[in-house]
Amino acid sequence: MHRLLIAAFALVFALNAQGKTLNIVTTTADLASITREVTGDRATVTSIARGFQDPHFVEPKPSFLLLLRKADLLIVVGRELEIGWLPALLDQSRNATIRPGGPGYLDASSGADILDRPTGPVNRSMGDIHALGNPHYWLDPANAVRIAIQVQKRVSVLQPENAAFYNSRLESFKQRINEANKRWTAMLAPYRGTKIVTYHNSWPNFVKRFGLNVVGFVEPKPGVPPSPSHLLALTNLMKREKVKVILVEPYFDLKTPQAIAQRSGAKVLTMQPSVGGTPDVTDYFKLFDKNISKLVAALR
Amino acid sequence: MHSFQRDPADHRVSLTLFAVMFFFVVSPLYADQAGSQSNVSQQEQIRKLEKQLDELEATAVNIRRTLEALKEPNEPGMQPAPETIAEDLTRVEALEPSPTPTPGLAAAAPSPTPDQPTDAIDIVDNSAVPSVSKVFNPDISVIGNFIGKAGEANPFEERSPAALDEVEVALEAFVDPYAKAKFFLSITQEGAEVEEGFINFITLPWELNARVGKMKATFGKVNTLHPHSLPWVDVPLVVSEYLGDEGLIDAGVSVSRLIPIGGNFLLEGTAEIFAGDVEGVFERQQPNDLFYLGHLKLFRDITDNSNIELGGSLARGTAAEAGGARELSGADITYRWKPLERSIYRSFISRTEVFVHGGDAFEEEAGGFYSSADYQFARRWLAGLRLDHVQHLDDPSVSDRGASLTLTFRPSEFSSLRTGFRRTSYAGDVDVNELLFQVLFSIGAHGAHTF
Repeated sequence: MHRLLIAAFALVFALNAQGKTLNIVTTTADLASITREVTGDRATVTSIARGFQDPHFVEPKPSFLLLLRKADLLIVVGRELEIGWLPALLDQSRNATIRPGGPGYLDASSGADILDRPTGPVNRSMGDIHALGNPHYWLDPANAVRIAIQVQKRVSVLQPENAAFYNSRLESFKQRINEANKRWTAMLAPYRGTKIVTYHNSWPNFVKRFGLNVVGFVEPKPGVPPSPSHLLALTNLMKREKVKVILVEPYFDLKTPQAIAQRSGAKVLTMQPSVGGTPDVTDYFKLFDKNISKLVAALR
Repeated sequence: MHSFQRDPADHRVSLTLFAVMFFFVVSPLYADQAGSQSNVSQQEQIRKLEKQLDELEATAVNIRRTLEALKEPNEPGMQPAPETIAEDLTRVEALEPSPTPTPGLAAAAPSPTPDQPTDAIDIVDNSAVPSVSKVFNPDISVIGNFIGKAGEANPFEERSPAALDEVEVALEAFVDPYAKAKFFLSITQEGAEVEEGFINFITLPWELNARVGKMKATFGKVNTLHPHSLPWVDVPLVVSEYLGDEGLIDAGVSVSRLIPIGGNFLLEGTAEIFAGDVEGVFERQQPNDLFYLGHLKLFRDITDNSNIELGGSLARGTAAEAGGARELSGADITYRWKPLERSIYRSFISRTEVFVHGGDAFEEEAGGFYSSADYQFARRWLAGLRLDHVQHLDDPSVSDRGASLTLTFRPSEFSSLRTGFRRTSYAGDVDVNELLFQVLFSIGAHGAHTF
């Protein structure tokens, strides 16, 4: 019934939208990059969050309303990543199309492989835990394909006249990401099972894909800054497990990781979880190219 | 003879044995009979087994395929570990969406097509997960606001040394596809009251957004915020003295619209009509003595890291005890800075609000303002400064002044500990130095705040 309604809405909407360029807004730059792979120049794709900012803490600035009020499609990471800021924007957007359940709302996580889903009861003593699973799922190229498939399905409903175009672009993306993934897998193949520490639990899908082993986090619990006792325990653990690298997202302070690194003899490596983290990382492929070559250089 | 007499205990044993044997012999017969009676369930079993067989076949094919793939690069000298073979991503399919992302929308049972044989219809498990019944419950949160005070007695603002100043209970949910409802219940030492309760129509045409109910009037900035969102323990003097102890809250209608003016400016206009009863501010004399309000907000990003917001407000209602109209006008300016890459560690916000009070019931106009600056200097620490100045309504030549410093520690998004030193000079002759402490703590799901 729900799907039928979406299709009906979308049909009416599609008739209205025929011939015009789709206006797509994504919450993160990664979703924007993957979406562009599918839509090419037949849509304008804009991201709300920048690649170098923490996507959990985006300010719901009124200027984002300028983007949302005219959007035909809003693509979100989901899994409550945007819960602190997107609902407030949506309520003020005056755009019913892009509300959850509307034809212009796509939760990219709905077809993706989601890890760290809590199996028992959750509460806030566990920190900023995501009750619906880890939202950093885009860092697995297989999930990028899954996101692209969802995007292709939705934009083809919104613009049926472009369906063949979108489909061929999706196929091309699949081929290219498959080739790239072979390359990335080969680059990291010698380091399978290598133990690493990360600041936040941003990399479960990435490490699962490439066979790395996260043995600890700088944050004692998600979103909770480290205490001295946690840092001591982590330093000891890193010495014991011979951990060589601490991965840090660009929006976290390097001071603490550097102090741990010094005491444990490890290296601090800033890895970008998102496209646009630095100006040269302009798309999803470059994100992995850069991260993996930095990681290989650090592990070597 | 005696030896042929059976012990009654033996008799019981044999009877029991007989009963057990009877049960074992007869029950399968019954089962068989029951089976033959129910052709449908047998067919169903067959179908299930067939299905299992199909699945097994598919698994076998998959295993064979993986095996082939593993064998392929098995040339001498080129034998990578099996797990280093990259998955073929061209074959990746989107996974079946799990039911969690859209609560409230349970997957519909597949309806049979007309030509589908009835014995092929699967039994649908419609038993709901226990928590599913709760998906329509509103988001509920409770925020405790504990305030402590030390220092000199303040005759104009009495506070006990320690008090749970307010408990706010917030409930929020969609009413239907067109509207959301929000309720804020405020429980204080005076009792419980509905601070706000309104329906918000969020899917109106012409880019309108409307609220109907009891709500905070869109007058300036501080008046629209709940106490737990303020960067201070108290409210500025100009707010408490001009807008009443509780602030401008009344029952009525609010309609707002985004006005496109281009140039990356965002202009929002708001018009509101209220019943005209705000304690200490407006009081109806005639049935039509309503309270009207207009508000304009202009926002623009200066850079990615900074933005500016300007606001103008006008409110007019009846001040019954003064026998005429009371007019309030306000202007506010807010500058915000937050470096995106360091957004969780550093931010700065400066705000000034100026209010002017007048109307035909008052001989002279009076005015006041506050100016504040708050700087976040670490992930969990903020320091702030505020200056207050307000002219007395009955005699604008007399004014109250205040200066306060605050230091806030936020262990998480859900709690904060704050201390503030406040020096207030009332009418130039009563000086009060106070030290205020505040602990804010929230539980439950609290809706995201607007900017």
